[in-house]
Amino acid sequence: MNKTQTNSIGFSLSSDRVSVIILLIPALIFCTIFIFIPAFWAIVGSFYSYGMTSLNDWKWVGFDNYIKASQDEFFWIALKNNFIIVFASIVLQVGVGTILAAILDRGIKYGKVIFRTIIFTPMVISSVAVSIIWLIIYDPNVGILNSILKAIGLPTPSMGWLGDPDISIWMIMIVAGWQNTGFMMVLILAGLQGVSKEVYDAAEIDGATGVKAFWYITLPMIRNIIIVAILITTIGAFKVFEFVYVLTQGGPSNATQVLGTYIYLQAFNLLHMGYANALSVVLLIIALILGWFQLKASRRA
Amino acid sequence: MLISPYLNKEECKMKYYFSRIWAGILITLLSFSFTSSSYAIDIKLWDLSARQGQDEFYELLKKEVKKYNPDINVIVTEWENEAYKTQIQLALNGDDGPDVFFNWFGEDSARLARAGLALDLTPYADMEGGYGSFISKGWQDAGAVDGKIYGIANKAVSKYFYYDPAFFDQHNLSVPTTFGELIDTCKSIKAIDPSIVPWPMGNSERWKLNHVITMLNQRVVGAENTKADYALTAPDDELFTNPKYVEAWEKVVELNENCFNDAPNATNPELTRSMFAAQISPMMYCGTWCGGIFASEGFTDFKMFRFPRVEGGADDGTVGFLVAEGLQVSAKTKHPEAAALVASINVSDTMALADAELRGSLISNATLIDQMEDAPHWFTFYVNDIADKSGHVNVLDVLLEANVSNAYLDMGTEVLNGTKSPQEAMDFIRKVALEAKAAM
Repeated sequence: MNKTQTNSIGFSLSSDRVSVIILLIPALIFCTIFIFIPAFWAIVGSFYSYGMTSLNDWKWVGFDNYIKASQDEFFWIALKNNFIIVFASIVLQVGVGTILAAILDRGIKYGKVIFRTIIFTPMVISSVAVSIIWLIIYDPNVGILNSILKAIGLPTPSMGWLGDPDISIWMIMIVAGWQNTGFMMVLILAGLQGVSKEVYDAAEIDGATGVKAFWYITLPMIRNIIIVAILITTIGAFKVFEFVYVLTQGGPSNATQVLGTYIYLQAFNLLHMGYANALSVVLLIIALILGWFQLKASRRA
Repeated sequence: MLISPYLNKEECKMKYYFSRIWAGILITLLSFSFTSSSYAIDIKLWDLSARQGQDEFYELLKKEVKKYNPDINVIVTEWENEAYKTQIQLALNGDDGPDVFFNWFGEDSARLARAGLALDLTPYADMEGGYGSFISKGWQDAGAVDGKIYGIANKAVSKYFYYDPAFFDQHNLSVPTTFGELIDTCKSIKAIDPSIVPWPMGNSERWKLNHVITMLNQRVVGAENTKADYALTAPDDELFTNPKYVEAWEKVVELNENCFNDAPNATNPELTRSMFAAQISPMMYCGTWCGGIFASEGFTDFKMFRFPRVEGGADDGTVGFLVAEGLQVSAKTKHPEAAALVASINVSDTMALADAELRGSLISNATLIDQMEDAPHWFTFYVNDIADKSGHVNVLDVLLEANVSNAYLDMGTEVLNGTKSPQEAMDFIRKVALEAKAAM
């Protein structure tokens, strides 16, 4: 039951609404300090030219930083790499995660918990630690990957797994996939376990079993969960930083540069803070669009 | 002593003693807080983490500083190399940054001076305990910008070829004195055993090859011809157009074909150090910090030689690689005099000797160097060789404007991978240099 209060200037608020506002205040304060104010300054800063060591010397440049970005080949390489990572992450993490979830849900009878734990374990390790482990695995001189390939008589890349600009981005994808597939599997598994057994029984009567049942029954039933998983993966792919920074630092020759590492390079190595702000605003806009889609999909899910 | 009419004598006595005790406690507490808050000066010092001797070195520095001013507390924070480069810039712009901090002397230190973030230390040279009495004018100038001292150099790093004399003797190899002989040595080593990497190159962090191209530019193009290009003061139509720059990159291609391991851009520099220390590779080009590292990994019977001269090059091979390092003081420090004193004491006779002994540094103040006990053979070599050189060249990733430096780093990767030719590499560097010059 809503009680209505009327204050001295005739403004009426229900007690529920007051409670909502009070409960929102802490979150709003934190969001304002850590998100809204920095985002505001990033937008303002994107119209200026200044460096890390000349923070008091801002020079108005209007849209020059955005024009520069549109003409910067490395910005486009970084953006393209982010899209490659989005695509590959969806295939590797959501695709493989869905298959693994289906196997764990209905494919095997014993050891479900053990397999689920093993597959999920990389998720609880720090991304930097995971990257360092893979750095050693990929090493052209002492890495186990080259040793195995050489032992079975297969060729190894002459420039190294992370030194070859044509394959290095895919090597990073494998690392990201190795760590995050388990999370996607758990997410989708939760969705699968919500599908009623009766639906499968009914489908079986109609002759849909195995892969057919998965394709025609399971996937449509967990469609919204998969959409959420895809959006989480997409947003994660645009935020990616630590895998690239630890494994290649954006190299070789900017071949694995992503927006995160390129913004870092511009801000802290080349000291172009204004330009880095403009690139951050581009990333912010992409994240907002994706966030809006995620919110919509989550509600439907 | 007053006695209240409502208390008996014993009670009055007790009250009197309690009041005295309370007064004593209060006075003690007040005096303690007075001394601790009014006189203690905390000086925050940031430095890179070192593999050996750092803790003992800074304990001694704290004691030495207290001899001049017992109220100064030095609080040391150590950082890893890459993290430090970013963190120091952020911290200097904030309100809680260090008072005294490490820096590489060159463009990195000069940029902070120009931005007003580093304190002008010129007035503190001759104060009691000031650096003016500890280091020579030449070393003072290493931290100078426009005639003012913005940093106190306490050490320098150089680079040499390290080689395994046992391997060289066993296979009748001689120390190369020219670039051609260096290539021949690599070919000879590969002829002995094709699986041996003559000179391991770990360029995964890009700076390793940058040190090689620094020396090749010096040897091929020469200091006089590079000066205006490096400073971006050459006219636009001449900037980085000297064909000798391309020749220097061609030498890199030659080294890559004959001396380096496969996949240098995917190889970690620390691994290459271990390859030499484990005597898997018979030579490598490494900094003066490497001697101690090889020794800590169990290999001490190595020798060194200079980067050889290039036949037909502009340099006779006597100019060496040298990067001065030291401490700067934040312009935002609340205690400029105390901070300057800490940075100065860091180069005092006692501290310089400790720096050499504990951290193996090539110190700027060599007054007490003769008292150094058990100096390792590589340390003696560095000291004598640096004194013997006709000049010094700073490394490109410290010396050049940030964008041009980054272009050189990137082109090192491209040339090693063969994705850009030496000419294409120089075309790119020139393009970036022109843009950087226009933006200045």
